[in-house]
Amino acid sequence: MCSSRLLALGLWLIAASASAAPAWEALGKPLAANEIASWDIDVRPDGVGLPPGHGSVEEGQVVYDTHCASCHGTFGESTDYLALAGGVGSLGTATPQRTVGSKLDYATTLWDYINRAMPFNRSKALSVNEVYAVTAYVLNLNDILPADAVLDERSLPQVEMPNRKGFTQAHGMMRADGKPDVRNTACMKDCLKTPPQVSSALPAGFTHQLYGELGPHFRQFMVAAPAAAAPTPAALAASNGCLACHAAQQTRVGPAFADVARRYAAVADAPAQLRQKVRAGGSGVWGSALMPPQTTVTDAALDQILGWILAGAAAP
Amino acid sequence: MSDPMRIRAAVKGEKVEVKILMSHVMETGQRKDAEGAVVPAHYITKVTASCNGRDVLSADWGPSVSKNPYLSFRFKGGAKGDKLKVTWTDTAGDSRSDEVSIG
Repeated sequence: MCSSRLLALGLWLIAASASAAPAWEALGKPLAANEIASWDIDVRPDGVGLPPGHGSVEEGQVVYDTHCASCHGTFGESTDYLALAGGVGSLGTATPQRTVGSKLDYATTLWDYINRAMPFNRSKALSVNEVYAVTAYVLNLNDILPADAVLDERSLPQVEMPNRKGFTQAHGMMRADGKPDVRNTACMKDCLKTPPQVSSALPAGFTHQLYGELGPHFRQFMVAAPAAAAPTPAALAASNGCLACHAAQQTRVGPAFADVARRYAAVADAPAQLRQKVRAGGSGVWGSALMPPQTTVTDAALDQILGWILAGAAAP
Repeated sequence: MSDPMRIRAAVKGEKVEVKILMSHVMETGQRKDAEGAVVPAHYITKVTASCNGRDVLSADWGPSVSKNPYLSFRFKGGAKGDKLKVTWTDTAGDSRSDEVSIG
């Protein structure tokens, strides 16, 4: 019974995916590496995900006193807010104290939590090094690190926490009365007892009647983003660093583009001559200032820039 | 011997601000354990603080002070680099002294 249902469900899923795929395949786009990196912020117990950085207990005390002590107490002893230190060995007793020292199994979790969520009113306000420093200080408050300790991305995962083997998720992160973030346990086998019933709170066909076919509208926006407008020659001159020394109308370190245009107005193969000068660099033609050889600008960009200069370097 | 106190002393304007966290069970003597037996009293009775040998605080404590007591006070006449010494004595006759430099 159960297996035939599952089989039917499987076939239904396959059929659904096969028929639905063409309608939606045009949606979305592969994420670039930097886009994934902006989401991929977790730090794992073994230290994977820790950014390079370092901070000492001493530096951490300054950060802690500024951002943390008002709620957590000077020594992490706060009783009306979340205590950070003490309580080691109290988890199994009638009055469990959940603190960094008594609860956490990995020091990297502390780093991750501070980095994501603290200070409470201004999360993400601390720099990477400040997070390392304040992590070191909180571990020092728990007598886990000596007062002269310095943490970095290599030493933090090596820190041995007192509760290394005793971590549970049966309650909230720290408080005795806190609720856990999730209550679900991972199901790995025979999990769906009944096929899922997908439904909408709206009447059947409501959206379709109201808006018509939505798919084409989505595709219009999301399939082919219009190609970025080609950069103007002036923009190319800026992005290739020409404007660091040259200006369109004024003489700076190098000659004004307008002066160059005037001097080469009657020269037949001006673009070729100028291209060679830009590539090789030189000095003494317009003054003693040296123009370094320009090797990074592409031929296509250089031709555009030179055409723009010889035409008088008009503002875009 | 009990755990060391955590002491922070820093000059703030004209005064020195001192923050102390002591590690002590502070049993009142009125609590009963799971078997119903009274847990014997064990609490700090005397706290003193001195700056370069001069007493700046003296306190008589009783069973109403919490476990792992936190104490903060300010006094005049201290300077950066002075030695601040804090001592407590409890009902069991135990005592602990810790010293820091005022920062």
